[in-house]
Amino acid sequence: MLRSGKTSTNNFLIRQLPKATAFVNKFMEIVYASDKWMQEFDCPNHNTLGKPINKLFQNPNKNWSQLIENAINNGLSITTKGEYVDTKGNKKWYQIKSTPWHDENENVIGTILQTKDVTKEVSDEVKLEKLQIMSEQMSDIANIGLWDYSLEKDEMTWSTKTKKIYQVEEQYCPTFLDTPNFFKIGFSRNTIYMAIDKAINQAIPFREKLQLITAKNKEIWVIISGKPIFKNKKMVGLVGTLQDIDEINSAEIKRRENEHLLRTLIDNLPLNVFIKDLESRKILVNKAEVEFCGAKNENEILGKDDFAIYGQKFAEKTRKADLKVMREHKPILGEEVSLIKQDGKSATFLTSKIPLIDEDGHSYGLVGISMDISELKRKEIELRELINITSSQNERLINFAHIVSHNLRSHSANFSMLLNFLKTEESQEEKDKILQMLISSSDNLMETLNNLNEVVDINSKQELRKEPINLKSKIDSFKEILSADIKNYNVKIINKVAGDIDLNVVPTYLHSILNNFLTNSINFRSPDRDPIIELEGVKEGKFYVLTVKDNGLGMDLKNNRDRLFGMYKTFHNNENSRGIGLYITKNQIIAMKGKVSVSSEVGIGTTFKIYFNEED
Amino acid sequence: MKKINSIYVVDDCSITLFGIKKILKSTVNYESLNTFVNGKLALDAIKNILATHQNLPDLIFLDINMPIMDGWQFLQEFIALPIKEKIQINIITSSIDSADKNNWQYYKKQTHHTILYTSKPVSKEKIEKVTKIALD
Repeated sequence: MLRSGKTSTNNFLIRQLPKATAFVNKFMEIVYASDKWMQEFDCPNHNTLGKPINKLFQNPNKNWSQLIENAINNGLSITTKGEYVDTKGNKKWYQIKSTPWHDENENVIGTILQTKDVTKEVSDEVKLEKLQIMSEQMSDIANIGLWDYSLEKDEMTWSTKTKKIYQVEEQYCPTFLDTPNFFKIGFSRNTIYMAIDKAINQAIPFREKLQLITAKNKEIWVIISGKPIFKNKKMVGLVGTLQDIDEINSAEIKRRENEHLLRTLIDNLPLNVFIKDLESRKILVNKAEVEFCGAKNENEILGKDDFAIYGQKFAEKTRKADLKVMREHKPILGEEVSLIKQDGKSATFLTSKIPLIDEDGHSYGLVGISMDISELKRKEIELRELINITSSQNERLINFAHIVSHNLRSHSANFSMLLNFLKTEESQEEKDKILQMLISSSDNLMETLNNLNEVVDINSKQELRKEPINLKSKIDSFKEILSADIKNYNVKIINKVAGDIDLNVVPTYLHSILNNFLTNSINFRSPDRDPIIELEGVKEGKFYVLTVKDNGLGMDLKNNRDRLFGMYKTFHNNENSRGIGLYITKNQIIAMKGKVSVSSEVGIGTTFKIYFNEED
Repeated sequence: MKKINSIYVVDDCSITLFGIKKILKSTVNYESLNTFVNGKLALDAIKNILATHQNLPDLIFLDINMPIMDGWQFLQEFIALPIKEKIQINIITSSIDSADKNNWQYYKKQTHHTILYTSKPVSKEKIEKVTKIALD
C-alpha cells in the first residue's frame, strides 16, 4: 500500500510531529505530512496529500525539487535551501533536510522532508555581507582602518586600510607588539602603551591622537581607538580603528600657526585695528585700539559700540559712516577724523573702513584701521607756524634790504647830481647854494643811517627786557610831550583806556609806538575839522588791543596797505612824510610778538589797532 | 630851438626838484615850469586845467616814490583823464626794483601818451635826450 505511494489517510502519528515534515514517495508525491507542514505551507484542507510536491508550491524551486528527486533515487541524505512564496506573495527561505525513507526491507521508497524557516538567517547573511562591503568602503573613504586582537589566540588582525596606513605589504602578518612599536618614540609611544595596557587589564576603551612612523619611515598623525570585546562577560580581545589624520592635522596646525601670526601682527601693528558687527559693536580689537580707548584689556571694549566708548556726538558720525560702508559695500579709505577723547584731549586720525562680505554677498560687519596722527598734526601746525614766522621774517628782510638800497641810491644820486653841478658852476652864489644842499643831503644820509641802525637794532635783539607800564598814564604823558602841536592845531586826545591796565612792554618801544601813531594822526589831520584822536583798549585772547582812531585825511588802502608799513618812500625831510616811522613802529610791535592792523577811509579818518602780546 | 609851453616836475625831494629845474633852465626853451611835491597836487592842477580849458603841460617829470599819491597812482588816474593831446611823461626814479620797470611797461601799453623811464641821478645829457623826443 505504501509502495503505491498513494494514500488518503494521513498517519496520525506523523501528523503530530513537531517539525514541518512531509513523506514524499518516489513519484514526488506527498504521502504524509505533519500538521505543522500543512500550517507552514498554507494547506489547511489537507488537499496537499497525494499531490506532486513540485506542483504543490505555486512557485517551486526547480533546483531543490531536482535535488530531492536525486536524493530519493540515490537514497542520500541532503540539506538544501529553497525559496517559497506563500499565497500572499511573501518570500520565505527554508532549510530542507531530505532523509531517505526506507521500508521494512531497507528499500528506499521515498524521502522524509523536514523544513525549517531560515528566512531571517538568510536575510542576516545578506545584511552582513552588505555591512562588510559598506564598512570596507567607508573605511577606505574615511581613511579609517580596522584592527582586532584576539586575547585567546594572541592574534592581531589588520584590515587592508590599516595596513595601508602603516604602509606595510598586504600579506604582512602583524603581531600584538607591532601596534605600539610603530608609534613615535616619546609621547606617542608612551601614550599608546599605557592605553593598550589599561584596555587589556582594566577594560578601558581608548582614543588617542598620536604620531606614528610608517614602515616607509613617514611620520604621520593618526587617531587610534580601541575597545574591549566580551564574550560571556569575559574579555576576549580588542577591536579598534586607525585613522590617518595627517592631512587634517597638518592643516589644523597650519591654520593655528596662521591665526597666531595674524593675531601677533594685528596686535603689534602701530595702528588701531578693529572689527565691528552689523550693529557697529566691536567684536575684535587689537592692543593699540585697547590703549587708545583707555581700557585695561579688550574685554572692556568687546561688544560695545562707539556710543558706549566715545559718547553720542562722535558715535553718531561713525555709525553713519559704518552703515554707509556696510550698505554700499564700498570702503572708506584714509579719511581724516577728529574727536575729543574721554580724557579731554583731542585726537586726529586717518581711518579706513572696509566692509566684510560673506559668500552670499551680504555684509556682516567691517574692518576698521585707523592711525593716530594727532602728533603729526601737531607737528604740522608747529611747522606751519614756523614757516609763517620764517616767511614773514624773510619778507621783512627783503623789505629792509630794499629800503637800504633804495634810500642809499637816492642819496648817492643826489650827491652825484649836485657834484656834477658844482664842477661846471661858475656863479659863486649858485656854488654856495649847491654846497648847502650837499651838506643837507649829507645830514639826511646820516639820519637815514641812524634810522636803519635803529631798525637793525630792534630786529637783532634776542632778549627784550619787558616791564609793566601803565598804559593810561603813558598815553596821558603825550599830552605834555605834544603840547605844542596840540595847542597849534587844537587837537583833542580822548584817552578811554582803563586806569588799571599795565602792559608788559619794552618801555622805549611803547614810547616810540605811541609817539608815532599820535604824531601821524596830527600830521595827517583834515583841514576841514579839528583833529580828534580816540584811544581805547580791550582784551582779546592773549592780546591787549589798543585802538587809535583819528578823524584825519584817511587813506585809500586799496593800493597802499602793503606800502603803508613796508615804507618804500622814507627818509625825506618832507614834513608830512610817513617816513621810517611806521616801519620802525611795526618792527617794534613785532619784536614784542604783537601785530598791527589798519583801516581807513578817505575823508573820514584812520584807525590803527595795536596788538600787545600779553602772554609771550 | 622849438619852444615848450609848460613843464611839470613832480617829486617830493627838494634837491631833485632843484636839479631838474637847473638843468631844464640851461637846456630847454620853455614858457612855464611848475613843481609839485606829490602826485595828488599835480593831478589836482591838471584837473583844474581841464576844467578851465587852459594849456596842459607838454612834459611831465614824475618821481615814483612819493607820499599821499605816488607816481603809479598818479599815472593810473592821469591816463583815465579825457586828454586828446599826446603828453610826454618822464619817470625819474632812483628805484632799481624790477617791479617798477614792469609797471612802466604796463602803463606804456595802456595809453596814447609817451611814457619814458629814466634812472637817477639826472644829468644834462639825460634831460636833453628826453626833451628832444618831446620836441620831435
